[in-house]
Amino acid sequence: MVKKFGLKFGGLQQKILNLVLVFLIALIAIFAGIWFYQATTLNAVVGDVNSEQQDAIEKVSHNTMHQIIDNSMTKTNALQAYIADDMFSDVKTDVATLQSLAAGLFEHMDSIEPYPFSLPDPAKEGEFSAQVLFEDGVDYTESKYLGVAAHMSDTMIAMCKQSEYLDNCFIGLADGTHLCVDNQPSNKYDENGVLSPFSVRERPWYIGAVNAGKLWFSAVETDTYTGKIGVECSAPVYKDGKLVAVVGVDLFLNSMSDYVNSASSQGGYISVINNEGKVIFAPEDNGIFTVELSDNARDMRADENKALADFINKALTEQTGLVSVNVNGKEYYMTSSPINTVGWAVISFIEKDITEQPAQIMMSEYDRINDDATQKFSESMKKLNQAMLVIIAVLLVLGITAALFVAGRIVKPIEYMTKRIDELSGTDIAFEMNDFYRTGDEIEVLAQAFATLSKRTIHYIEQITRITAEKERIGAELELATRIQADMLPNIFPAFPEREEFDIYATMTPAKEVGGDFYDFFLIDDNHLGLVMADVSGKGVPAALFMMMSKILVNNFAMMGESPAKVLEQTNTQICKNNDEEMFVTVWFGVLDIETGKVTAANAGHEYPMIKKANGEFEILKDKHGFVVGGMEGMRYKEYEFTLEKGGTLFLYTDGVAEANNAKNEFFGKDRMLAALNAEPQADPKTLLENMKKSVDEFVGNAPQFDDLTMLGVKLL
Amino acid sequence: MNIQKSSHNNSLTFSISGRIDTSTSPKLEQELKNSINDCTELTFDFAQVEYISSAGLRVLLSAQKTMNKQGSMKLKNVHENIMEIFEVTGFTDILNIE
Repeated sequence: MVKKFGLKFGGLQQKILNLVLVFLIALIAIFAGIWFYQATTLNAVVGDVNSEQQDAIEKVSHNTMHQIIDNSMTKTNALQAYIADDMFSDVKTDVATLQSLAAGLFEHMDSIEPYPFSLPDPAKEGEFSAQVLFEDGVDYTESKYLGVAAHMSDTMIAMCKQSEYLDNCFIGLADGTHLCVDNQPSNKYDENGVLSPFSVRERPWYIGAVNAGKLWFSAVETDTYTGKIGVECSAPVYKDGKLVAVVGVDLFLNSMSDYVNSASSQGGYISVINNEGKVIFAPEDNGIFTVELSDNARDMRADENKALADFINKALTEQTGLVSVNVNGKEYYMTSSPINTVGWAVISFIEKDITEQPAQIMMSEYDRINDDATQKFSESMKKLNQAMLVIIAVLLVLGITAALFVAGRIVKPIEYMTKRIDELSGTDIAFEMNDFYRTGDEIEVLAQAFATLSKRTIHYIEQITRITAEKERIGAELELATRIQADMLPNIFPAFPEREEFDIYATMTPAKEVGGDFYDFFLIDDNHLGLVMADVSGKGVPAALFMMMSKILVNNFAMMGESPAKVLEQTNTQICKNNDEEMFVTVWFGVLDIETGKVTAANAGHEYPMIKKANGEFEILKDKHGFVVGGMEGMRYKEYEFTLEKGGTLFLYTDGVAEANNAKNEFFGKDRMLAALNAEPQADPKTLLENMKKSVDEFVGNAPQFDDLTMLGVKLL
Repeated sequence: MNIQKSSHNNSLTFSISGRIDTSTSPKLEQELKNSINDCTELTFDFAQVEYISSAGLRVLLSAQKTMNKQGSMKLKNVHENIMEIFEVTGFTDILNIE
C-alpha cells in the first residue's frame, strides 16, 4: 500500500472508493446518456414542430390571403366595373337620347319655329341654363340651326339636373355655333368680361364623333372651363346624310376618381384602362399605371412588360381571375373586369408583399415568439444542464466523501488492530478486545478471534515454555546420566599402562542418549583379567539403570573370585529377586589367565565371541550358551575354556554390530564383521575397533541406527 | 510389524509379520496383555517374522512366564535366522519351538 494525501492506495479504503466511483460514474453515464438523448430528441421535436408550424402558417396564410384577395378584390373590381358600366350606359343613353332628339328636330326643322336662346348670363351662376357659344368670326344670330337646337334647352337642363354623373351637356352645330347647359355661365367670360370664343368644330369630342360616325367616348381630357379631368361622350347628328350637329356630355368621373384614389389607402389600387389600352384613372404613385393626357398616353397593350401587356389585352375583353404579374421586379396580384359599354377595363392590383404582410407579420411575430420560446427553452435546458452538472458534481463529492467515510470506518479499526498487534508482537502482552472494535460486523468477530487467539497463544507459549523447560531438564539429566553411564565404563586407555602382557581397548557408541549395552574389564588379581560384554533388553533410562545394576553385580561377584558360571548364576538370582519389569541382560563373562592365555567363560545368551590365533585370522567361537540373565530364576550356566595365544586377539561385541542395518534393511552380519577384522588381523585392538566402526559406518550410510554399538578387543602380547 | 489374532475356544494364535524390535514390541506386549487372560493355549506363528530384538525377546519371555501359570505356549514356523537369535540368547532352553 502506498500512502499519499492521507489516503492509502491499494487498501480497502481505496477499493471501496473505487467501487463507489465506478458505480457512480456508471450511474452518471447512464443518466447523462438518457438526458442527452432526451434533450436532443426534445430539441429536434421542438425544431421540427417549429418549422412545421411555420410551413403550415405560411401555407395557410398564403392560401387564405389568396382566397381573400381573390374573393374581395375580384368581386369588388367586378362590382366597380359593373357600376362604371352602368354609369357609362346611362351616359350613353343620355347622349343617344340627345342624338335622337336632335335628329328628330333637324329632320323637321322646316316646320319648327326657332326657340329663344341667349348668351351665358353670369347672373344665372349656380343654376343650370342653356348658353350659346360660337367660334371666332361666326354670327350666331344668323344660324339656322341654333333656334332648332334651342328646343332641346329644357330637356338638356332637366337631364343635367336629374343625372348624378352629368355636370353639363351640349350640342355643337356644324355652322360653328354651340349650345351648352351647365351651372357655371361666368367662366365663359375672360377676365375683361368679354365672352371667350369657342372653337366648336375643333373640339376633340366634335372631331371624335364626326370621325367615328357614331356614339363616341373621348380619352381623358381636361375640361376647357373647370380644368377637371374627365371624358366626353359625343354623338353626331345627321340631316339627310349631312352632319348638322354633334351632341355630347362631359363626364367628370369624380365618384370613380374618388373611389380609385380611395382604394389605394388599403394598400391596393384601382386603375381604369380604355379600349385603346390607355390609362384613364389611376391613383398617384401606384408603381404601374400613370395617367397621361390622351396625346401622351401610352398604349399599355403594347407595354414592354410582356406579362403586363398580355394581362391588359385580356382585361379589355373578359373578366379575369386573380393573376400574379411581375412588374419592375415586384409581384402584383391583379384582377380585371371589363366595362362593356365603353370597352374599357377596371383593373385592381395590389403588391403581393403587402398581401402577405399580415402573414409575414404573423410569421415574424410567430418567429419572435418562437425564438423567444426556443431561447427560453435553450436557456432552461442550459440551466438544467448546469443544474445537472452541479448535481453530478455534488453527487460525486458526496459519493466520494461517503465512501471515504464509510471505508474509513471500516478500515480504522483494522488499522488500529494491526498497529496494536504490531506493538504487541515481541511482548507477552495479550491482544485484548476493545470497544473500538465493537463495530457489530466481521471486524468485531475478527477482533474477538484475535483476542481469543492471542490469549490462547500466550497460554500455549507458557505451556510450551514449561514443557520445554521440563524437556531441557530431562535432557540435561539424560545427558548427565549418559555421562555417568559412560564414566561407569573403564574408558581411559591404555587402561593398564604398567601391564605389557596384553593390550585392551573397548568402545561404546549408544544409539540413544542412554543405552543398555555395557562392557567391563578389571583385574581380579595380578594374573586374572575379568572381561564382560553385556546387552540389556530395551533402551533408555530403564535399560541404563538395569545395566548399572548388572554391571555392579557381575563385578562384585567376579571380584569375590567366583567362577564365571557362578558369577552369572548369582547375578541372575539377585536380578530375578526384584524384576517385575521382566528385563534381562545377555552377558558374556570370561576370566583371562594372563600368563597362560587360558580363558574360562560363561555365556548367558550373548553373541559368540570372535577369536584370532597368533598367526591366523579371526573366527567365530561357537561357545556354549545359557539363558539370559534376569529372565528366569535358578538358571544354571555352563562354563567353557579356550586359550588365547600370545599374539592372538579376542573380540567381543553386542548385537548392535552384527545387526547394524543399511537403508535396504540389510544386516551388517557376521561375515562383514570378520572381513573388517581380517582386513588388519594383526593390528592392535584400538585399530581393530576403529576398522570395525569405519566399516559399519560405511555400510549403514544414513540409515538410522536403533542399537548401541559396543566392542571390546584384547590382545595378548 | 503386523499382528493377526485368531482364537478357537481357549486357544489363541498370534500371526506376526515384520520386525519385532524396540519400537514395535510395546504394541505386541499390549496385544498380549489384552488377550491372554483366558487363554490356555497360546501359539505364535513366526512365519513372517524377519527379526526380533532383545525387546521382543523380553515380550516372549513375559508371555512364556504368564502361560507357564495358566497353560502352554509354543512358537511355530520359526526362520533360521530367528532361530539363531533364540539359540544365542538361550531362549531355545525355555521356549517351546516346533
